Amino acid sequence: MISQLLSTENEDVSAGKLRDDNPLDESESFHELCEACRRGDLKICQEKILEGVNINGRDSYDYTPLILASLCGHYEVAHLLLESGAICERDTHQGERCLHNALNDRIRNLLRSYHFSKSTDPLQPFAAHVTSLLSRDTPRTSDITLVCTDCTFRLHKLVLAARSPYFAETFAAAPETVSWRLPNTIPSRSLEIAVRYLYFGDVAADLGDGEEEQKILTGVEKLSQLFQTESLFESIMERDLRFVRQRRTDDLALGRQRFEVWLNDSVLANKVEVETSRAKDVRWGRNNKVFADVLLQADELVEEEDNDLESYSGTTTPRIRNTEGSLNGIPVGPVSPSKRPRRSILYPVHKAMLIRAEYFLIMFSSGFKEAQETEHLQIISVDFPPDVLEIVLAFLYSEKADIPLSLAVDVLWAADQLFIDKLKNKTAVIISTLGSGDAVTGKAEKRRRADEDDGVIDIYEVIRAGWDTRVPQLEEFGARYLAYRLERHIDTEEFAEMVQDSAARIQSRQETDTVELIDDIRFYLSERFRLRFEEAGLEEMMDDLEGSAGDAQDATEGQFQEERGIDSAERYAPSDAIPPTRVAANGVIKSDALDGTVIRTLDGKIAGDEFSQEAMDYRILLTKLDQLLEKLELDA
Amino acid sequence: MIASRGARKIKPPRKNIQGDDVDLEPTWVTLSDSFREIHTQNASQLSYEQLYRHAYVLVLKRKGDQLYKRVIDFEHDWLSEDIRPRLHTLASSALLSFEEYDTKTVNERRVSGELLLKGATKAWDNHQTCINMLADVLMYLDRVYCREQRRTPIFEACMELFRDTVLKWLVTKGEDGMDLLDVLSTIILDQVRMERDGDTINKHFIRSCVHMMESLNESNTDGQETRLYVTRFQPRFLKASTEFYREESERLIRENDAGTYCRWASRRIREEEDRCRSTLSESTTDKIRRVVEDELIRNKIAEVIAMPNGVKFMSDNNRIEELSLVYNLNARVDSKKTELITAIQKRVAQMGDEINRAALAASHTPPAPAPGYSDGSTKSGERVVNQHTAAAMKWVEDVLQLKDKFDTIWRLSFASDQALQAALSKVFSEFINAATFPRGTEYISLFIDDNMKKGIKGKTEHEVDLVLDKAITLLRYVQDKDMFEKYYKKHLSRRLLMNKSVSNDVEKQMISRMKIELGNNFTSKLESMFKDMTVSEELSNGYRAYVDKLGDYDPARVDLSMHVLTATVWPLDHMSGALDRDPNKQDKAQGPIFPPEIERVKKGFEKFYLNRHSGRVLSWLGGMGTADIRAVFPKVPTKDGLRERKHELNVSTYAMIILLLFNDLSENEALTYEEIEARTNIPPHELTRNLQSLSLATKTRILLKEPMTRDIKPTDRFKFNEGFSGKFIRIKVGVVSAGNRVENDKERQDTDDSVRQMRAHYIEATIVRIMKQRKTCAHLQLISETISQLASHFKPEVTMIKKRIESLLDKEYLARMPEDDSMYKYIT
Repeated sequence: MISQLLSTENEDVSAGKLRDDNPLDESESFHELCEACRRGDLKICQEKILEGVNINGRDSYDYTPLILASLCGHYEVAHLLLESGAICERDTHQGERCLHNALNDRIRNLLRSYHFSKSTDPLQPFAAHVTSLLSRDTPRTSDITLVCTDCTFRLHKLVLAARSPYFAETFAAAPETVSWRLPNTIPSRSLEIAVRYLYFGDVAADLGDGEEEQKILTGVEKLSQLFQTESLFESIMERDLRFVRQRRTDDLALGRQRFEVWLNDSVLANKVEVETSRAKDVRWGRNNKVFADVLLQADELVEEEDNDLESYSGTTTPRIRNTEGSLNGIPVGPVSPSKRPRRSILYPVHKAMLIRAEYFLIMFSSGFKEAQETEHLQIISVDFPPDVLEIVLAFLYSEKADIPLSLAVDVLWAADQLFIDKLKNKTAVIISTLGSGDAVTGKAEKRRRADEDDGVIDIYEVIRAGWDTRVPQLEEFGARYLAYRLERHIDTEEFAEMVQDSAARIQSRQETDTVELIDDIRFYLSERFRLRFEEAGLEEMMDDLEGSAGDAQDATEGQFQEERGIDSAERYAPSDAIPPTRVAANGVIKSDALDGTVIRTLDGKIAGDEFSQEAMDYRILLTKLDQLLEKLELDA
Repeated sequence: MIASRGARKIKPPRKNIQGDDVDLEPTWVTLSDSFREIHTQNASQLSYEQLYRHAYVLVLKRKGDQLYKRVIDFEHDWLSEDIRPRLHTLASSALLSFEEYDTKTVNERRVSGELLLKGATKAWDNHQTCINMLADVLMYLDRVYCREQRRTPIFEACMELFRDTVLKWLVTKGEDGMDLLDVLSTIILDQVRMERDGDTINKHFIRSCVHMMESLNESNTDGQETRLYVTRFQPRFLKASTEFYREESERLIRENDAGTYCRWASRRIREEEDRCRSTLSESTTDKIRRVVEDELIRNKIAEVIAMPNGVKFMSDNNRIEELSLVYNLNARVDSKKTELITAIQKRVAQMGDEINRAALAASHTPPAPAPGYSDGSTKSGERVVNQHTAAAMKWVEDVLQLKDKFDTIWRLSFASDQALQAALSKVFSEFINAATFPRGTEYISLFIDDNMKKGIKGKTEHEVDLVLDKAITLLRYVQDKDMFEKYYKKHLSRRLLMNKSVSNDVEKQMISRMKIELGNNFTSKLESMFKDMTVSEELSNGYRAYVDKLGDYDPARVDLSMHVLTATVWPLDHMSGALDRDPNKQDKAQGPIFPPEIERVKKGFEKFYLNRHSGRVLSWLGGMGTADIRAVFPKVPTKDGLRERKHELNVSTYAMIILLLFNDLSENEALTYEEIEARTNIPPHELTRNLQSLSLATKTRILLKEPMTRDIKPTDRFKFNEGFSGKFIRIKVGVVSAGNRVENDKERQDTDDSVRQMRAHYIEATIVRIMKQRKTCAHLQLISETISQLASHFKPEVTMIKKRIESLLDKEYLARMPEDDSMYKYIT
C-alpha cells in the first residue's frame, strides 16, 4: 500500500507533475549554504537565503540545510532557516530525520514549534491580508463593484489588475471604471468562487450537486478564460491534497510576484519628485491610472554637511514639515536652510495595501482628516526618506523584505513607528545575522568580515535602536558584536556612554545591580575565548591562568599601551580603522612593525605562545570592563 | 543592494529623534488644542499623521510619563468642567421632582427622568467616541509607554476618569448624599415601576445607561462582579422588585381567584424576562426571575393551590389550562412540585375512596343472599348476584374513568411530568389496594371475565386493545398479584371449560400482555391451562379413533369428550366444589358412583390414557362436566294428538347420574333424597343444587318432587315427570353458579385462607432461598429482602414473615446465632 503510494508519487515527481519537497540541488550557492549551516555561519546563511537559494533543497547526501544546522547544533541558524520557510514537517521522512538528528533538545523543541502550518508558506500572512479585504468594511478601500444578477462584490482594482491580465487591460483602458457587470449567463456562485480565488481565498467548497454543480463549474471555466487566469479552473478541479497545496503555493508565489511587478510598474514608476515646498500643490484625481487612493510623501534627506548643526540639535518635530501647514498653532519645524531646495517624492499608493500597517489602518478608520474622502488624493507625509519608504512599500505590497544593511536601522525605525511587527522582526533578523560578529574559522575571513561590518554598521545606533524599538535580540547582537571587537571599543567615549545608558535603562525600571549590556558582553567574551581554548583542547589552561591573573592586572594599571604582535595585528582591524582620537588619548603609538616571531599580549607583554596570549588578553579585557564600571560609578 | 554593501558608509540614522531633548510645551499646546477640537466634534480637519507624530516623538524622547499625565489631567478637567455641571443640573432637577413626589404627576416625573437619562447617555457616548480618537492618536503612547510602565491604557484610564469625576460625584450634599449613579439608579427604578404599572417608557436611554454601568468597574480592578451595574444598580433593583412583588402578591391573592393569579404570575415572569432582554442586562434575568418566583410563587403556591377555586376546583372542572399554569409555576420553584403533587394526590385519594365506598355500598344493599341458594329460576337471588357483579363492573369503570381523567390532565396540563406520573400511580395503587376495600383484585378479574364473555363481542381489534389496555393499567396498580392470579385462574378455568370465551385469540393476547407486565412466572400456569385445553382436544380425538377401531359401531355407546387438567395448574378446589371442602367425607367417598354404562366408558378411557402416560393418576371431576341425554317421554295426549316426545337434555354430569337412576325404575316409583344420595354418592351440596334445577325450575321440571315445596329436604321424594313437555327439542338444564360472579362472603373467606396458605409457602421458600445464599443474615435485613423479593407478587405483612421465620426455626431450617439473637444462620 505505502510502497504503491510512494511509487505513484515518484512517478508524479519524475513526470514533473508533483514537485519534490526537497529537490536535489547541486548548485554552487546551495553548496555554500550547506557549508555555512555546518559551520553555523549566520551571515552567509542570511546572504544565501536573500540570494534566493532554495532552503528546502538537499545535497548529494540527502542533507537539507535544516538537518545540517540542527545536526551541528546551531540554534540561531536553524531558527533563521525556519523563519525563512524551511520545512520541518512531522510525519515525513525528512522531517522526522531532522528531529531525530537534532543535537540537543533546545533545537528539537524549536523544530517542533515550527509545525508545518507555520512554515510551509511564508506568504500566508500576505495572502490572508488580501483575502481579508473581501470582508473588511472599515476603512473603505474598495473602488470597484462587480455586479451580477443577485449580488454585488465590492472589490479593489489593484487586486483585480494585479491578479488578472484581463482586468489589468480593462482598467488600463478605462481607469475610471467603477463597476463591472457579469455576463448574465454565468451564475453568481461562479463569480463568488472566482473572486475568492483572485483574493487568494480558499476555493474548495461544496458546490451543491449534479446539475447545479455543473452550471457553476461551467461558469467558473468561462470566468477562468475571461480573466485569463487558467489556474483558477484547474484549482477548483484539483482533488489530491498535495497537488492542491502545491498549486496554491505556486499560485501564491506567482500572485506575490505580480503584486511586486505591479508595485514597480505602477507605484514606483509613477512617483512624483517635487520640491518639498511645492509638494502640497500636487493634485491627483481619484480616477488615476494606477487606482491610487492616497499619496505618500517622503522627503529626501538633506546633505549632512549642509545643516548639521541646525537640524540635529533641538529639533523636536521631524525636521521638515511639508503638509498643509499649521493647524491650530502646531509649530512648524524649522525650515531647512539648505541652498538647494529640498525635494520630496510622492508615491501614489493604495489604502488597501497600506492598512497592513496598523498605523495606517487606524488612521484610515479614524474620524480624522486622512480618512475623509476628498476630490484630490490626500497627501500623507512619512518620517523617513524615500528609499526607506520604498522598502516599506515593497514589504506591504509583496511581502518582500530585501533590506540592505545600510538602511536596516532606518527601516527598523519606520516599521516600529508604523506598527509593522513582521517587518520589524525581519529587519532585526537581518541586522543581527548580516552584521554577525562571532568568530569564524580562518583569520583572514574574520578580518575581512570585521572590516566590512565596521564600514556599514554603527553598532551604537543599532543597540540604541534595539532599545527604543524594543527588539531585545538587537541588544544581544550588539553585545556579541562588541565582545568580539572589545579591544577597539572599550576605551571610546561612545562605549562608556552606552554602558551608562544601559545602566540607566535598568535603573529606571527597578533597582538592580547589574548592567545588562556589560553582563552580555562578559558572556560573549568568555564564549569568544573559551571557543579558542576548546578548539585546542586546552580548557584547563583557563583555570590555570585565572589564578595568575594578578600580575596581568597590575600590568594594566595606569596607562594602556596598545602594542600588537604580528599575530594580533592580523586578528584585529588594521590601524586605519582606529579613530585617531583614540590613539591620541592613549598617547603612545607603538609601531606595528615589530618582530614577527614574538607573541605579545594586548598590554604588550610577551606571551609564551598563542594560547597564553589569548588567556591574558581575556583577563585584560575583563579588567578593563571593571575599571570602566568603576569610573562610571556603577556597581556590577 | 547586498552587492553594494559596504560601499558607502551608513549615515547616522535619524539624529533628530535621538538623544536630544524635546520641548514638551509647544507640542502639548498643539495636542491639547486638538483634543479640545475632538471633544467638540471638530476632528474632521485634524491631521492624524501630525498628531500621531507629536505623541510618537514625545514618547521616543522619554516624555511618555509627562504626556500621559497631561492627557489624564486634560480629560479630568474637561469632564469636571464641561460634562459634570451639565449632568448634575439635570440630576438635581430630576431629584426635585422626586421630592415633590406627591404633587408631581407621573408624567412630569417621567419627563425629567428621561431628560437625565438622555443627557447621561449622550455624554457617555460622546466621551467614548472622543476617547477612541484620542487613543488612536496616542497609540504609540499606549503600545510603548503604557505597556512598559504597566500603566492603564489611555482608553481605560479615561473611562475610569468618567466614572470617578462624573458618575461618582455627589449630587446632593450631606451624609447620605447621592452621587450621579444613585440618581440614575433611582430614575431607572422609577421608570421600571412605571412600566410595571402599565405606562410606556423610553427603553432606549435606560438601556444605554445600563450599558454604561456594565462597562465600568467599581474600582480599577477587573472582573464581572465589580461592574458598577452589579455593585450599584442590581441590588437596588432586586430589592425594589422584591418589595413590589410582595405587595402585589398579597393584593392579587386577595382579589382574584387561583386561575387569574396564576395567569398573572406567569405574565409577570415573562415581563421581567423581556425587560432584562430589552431594557436592562441579560445577566439580571436569573436573579429577577428568582425574585418574582419567590414572591409570587414560592411563598404563595401552597395558598393558591388550597384556595377554594384552587387545584381541587380545577381538576373537578377539567380546567386544563389553569392546571397547566399551576404546574408550570410550581415547577419553576420546586423541581419536585411537592405542593401540586400533594394536592392532586389528596384529590385522587378522595375520589378513589368515594368509588370504593360506592362499590361496597352497592354490594351490601340488600345484604348478600345465602350462597348457592337459587338457580336461574330464583329471580331475587339472581338479581342479587347480578347486582353484586354490576357493582364490581361499575367500580372498575369508575376507576378507569378516574384514571382517564387524570391521565388527560397529566398529559395536557402537567407536560407528562415523570414525578407527577409516579405520584398518580402511587395514589391509585393506594386506594385500589386499600385495606378497607379488599375486593379490588377480584373486581378486576371479573371485569376481564365479563369482557371476555360478552364485552368484546362485535368489537374491532382496536377497541379490544383498548379494553385490554385498561385491564392491564389497573393490574399495574394491584399489589396482591397472587390474589389476582387466583381469581383470574378461577375465572379463566370456567371460561375455558365451559367454552364461554368469545375469542381464544383475545384470551391469549391478554396472557401475553400480562406476561410483559408481570413476568413469566405469573403467566406460566395460565399458559399451561391453555396447553391442557389443546392437549385434551387431541386426546379426545385420539380416543374416539381408538374406540372406532375397537369394533363395530355401537349405537348405545356413550360418546366421551373430556379435558385432562394438570392438578397443580388448575384451581381444582374451586371446581370440585364441596368435594374437597370436607376432608372427612373425601376419605370415604371417591367421587360419585357412575352408572354402569358410564363407568364402562370411564374405565375404557382410563385404560387408554394410562397406556399413553403410565404412572399418572386420573381423578374425575363430575361437577364440571355436562352430558347430552336423549330422553323419550311416554305418549301423552296433546292438542296435536297422542304422541311420544323426544327431548335432548343438556344437563350436568351429576344431573345425568341422577336421571339415569330413574331409567331403572318402574313408572311412578319414586326415590327419596337419601336414596339418591346413597346410590350416587354425589356430594350433598351438589346434589341439592342439581335436584333443585331438575325439580323446581318450571321449564326443566323433569322430576317431580313430593311435597311440592321450594326447599329440598332429605325426606323429599322424587319421581320421573312423565308428563314433561318443552317447547324445544333441545333443553338445557341450568345449574346455579354456572357463571362467574362475585364471591360471597364464605367463598371469600375460603379464598383468603387459601391465599394466606399459599403466601406462607411463598414466604418460607423465599426466606430459605435468601438464607441459602447468605448463610447468615440479620433479622431486619432478612425481612426487608424478603419483602423486596416478593414485591412483584404481593405485599407480605411483617407479622406474617415473622411467623414464617418462627416456623422455619421450628423446622430447623434456620437457627439463631448463639452470639447474636438478631442473626440467623442457615442449617444445611
